[in-house]
Amino acid sequence: MEQELTKEELKAYKKAKEQLTDARKESFGKWLRTKGWKHLIGWVMIVYSVFPIVYVISGSFADADQFTSTLFTSFTTDNYRDLFADEYRPFGAWFVNTLFISGTAAIGSVFLSALAAYAFSRLRFTGRRAGLLTLILVQMFPQLLALVAIYALLVNIGNVFPFLGIGSQLALIMVYLGGALGANTYLMYGFFNTIPKELDEAAKIDGATHTQIFYGIILRLAAPILAVIGLLAFIGTSSDFVLANIILTKPESKTLAVGLYMYVSDQFGQRWTIFAAGAVLAAVPIVALFLYLQKYIVSGLTGGAVKG
Amino acid sequence: MATDFVARGQDLELVEVRKEFPGFVAVESLDLKIPAGEFFALLGPSGCGKTTTLRMIAGLETPTSGKVLIGGKDVTDQKPHERPVNTVFQNYALFPHMTVLENVAFGLRQRKVDDPLPKATAALEMVELNHLASRRPQQLSGGQQQRVALARALVNRPALLLLDEPLGALDLKLRRQMQLELKDIQSEVGLTFLHVTHDQEEAMDMADTVAVMNHGRIEQMGAPEKLYDRPKTAFVAKFLGQSNLFVGEVTDKSSETISINFRGNKITAPNSRIEKSSGKVAIGVRPEKTEFHESKPAASSTQNVLGPGKITDIRFTGVSNQYQIEIPEIGEITVFAQNVGRSPVVELGAEVWVSWKVEHSFGLADLPTGEEDIE
Repeated sequence: MEQELTKEELKAYKKAKEQLTDARKESFGKWLRTKGWKHLIGWVMIVYSVFPIVYVISGSFADADQFTSTLFTSFTTDNYRDLFADEYRPFGAWFVNTLFISGTAAIGSVFLSALAAYAFSRLRFTGRRAGLLTLILVQMFPQLLALVAIYALLVNIGNVFPFLGIGSQLALIMVYLGGALGANTYLMYGFFNTIPKELDEAAKIDGATHTQIFYGIILRLAAPILAVIGLLAFIGTSSDFVLANIILTKPESKTLAVGLYMYVSDQFGQRWTIFAAGAVLAAVPIVALFLYLQKYIVSGLTGGAVKG
Repeated sequence: MATDFVARGQDLELVEVRKEFPGFVAVESLDLKIPAGEFFALLGPSGCGKTTTLRMIAGLETPTSGKVLIGGKDVTDQKPHERPVNTVFQNYALFPHMTVLENVAFGLRQRKVDDPLPKATAALEMVELNHLASRRPQQLSGGQQQRVALARALVNRPALLLLDEPLGALDLKLRRQMQLELKDIQSEVGLTFLHVTHDQEEAMDMADTVAVMNHGRIEQMGAPEKLYDRPKTAFVAKFLGQSNLFVGEVTDKSSETISINFRGNKITAPNSRIEKSSGKVAIGVRPEKTEFHESKPAASSTQNVLGPGKITDIRFTGVSNQYQIEIPEIGEITVFAQNVGRSPVVELGAEVWVSWKVEHSFGLADLPTGEEDIE
């Protein structure tokens, strides 16, 4: 039954309604104080990290003179075409070189550090402790410090074995393998230690050799850390500039990081849009590898962090 | 492989086996003989060297000196897989990346036995787990994993099976069940079982022979009933069940009994149940063999009587109550009384006398640690 509201009742109703909206306003303020500010920071960080990527993608499709203008003002695929058309700057070859060098270095360093980590984790030998300490110590110094030494070494090696001298991709891979070994071995050593020794012993009782234990049990169970180390090694080597730049001399043997730099290093012909196109393509294999390995990586990173 | 794996149990013999690790001696000159087909338990607190002993028998550790013989053959220098031995580990050590069936078949494949999978299936049938063959170990419960580990060890047809605290991680009910199953399987396959444990109930319940180990030595060895009834050292008396121990100088000796003076009280033990009869002697009695009385019992040559004392604590344990009785000048005595009538039989704080039959006393060869200087 509808009823005429008295003046008092109407007043009370309005007052109640006002209070309700106040409460709502208040609750928004409260939300902002308790949770909202985290969203705000989150969005700022997202924009901060996504912006460069968007900018490079936009730049790779921009006209040569439009690179610094607003995002997506022009659209052309010329940059991608030019990238592959330049015979003095063989992008295709660089791409293959990078995949080859980084891929080999990644697989190699995973394998070598797994071997070393197995020895440190499972075998007891004289010098084990000293060896571990040396590893920590050596991995503290960036390889960059040894640049001059590496250069001199390669020049001399090249005099005897030309296929391992300056200008050789194999030499670069060797340098990468040596440099990555310290930290990776240590990371993997920590992970191997979390695999119960009883598994080895159970296998040993059944007649398994060290080789069988290594391939059949340890490597199978260490898949996460292998993925992490493989990925880190791949990213590290494919973005390396300094070593690749001094060791690889011929244009057709360069890697992407070194080669692409040629597009922006000319004093008068800085071709940023083509560089952007090259950068976008260079990111593709890393992103693909990351997506493929990510299911291992989450557990691998935390596994190493908590237990290692 | 060259080793001839036999289904029948073989005997195990340790001859003066000694194991030193840098800084300490884990096992001191151990002599042990386990007859074929026996269920033998090695019982001791953690760090007593029992697991080291087991690992030396398995071949995972090399003895510093001494010999390990299985079936009369010296295996001291043989590798683990060359010995007719298999082990069930405390944490099962199942390979997480293989199915249950592959886990069981692993040893067969390693030894290049024909038809590994049917044989593995048969082993799983024995532990009634063949319906879970395609699962991964982590999808099984603790008890099921335990049985897979057992199947994996048994499928290799060892002559001697080593069990390293295999039931430690299971809950009480499952443990009882697994104890029964283990015992069944052992009598079924007739293997020699060497069971290492720190759980005295488990050891007494399952084993034909129990060896109590402490500080790398075997303190006492024998059938569980004998060990419980006649502990020879203070360690065994305290580790295997509970004991009330009294230390005093020998005062009386007859052809049948000896008596000690324990802080002014005479405590008597039969000569057939003592280890030494001169100087300071420790005499003990099991708490369930003692009784308490609310009035002073008449002195008698067949009874030891202490008291009066006060009941300071009553612990209800289901079938029985555990009473702590504090007697002035004497100390604390533990008494178990069955809850057949009313419970508790006496109230907290009541004044009681404690008595037990002389024939239930036992004399120890050594004195309890820390008691040597008290007088």
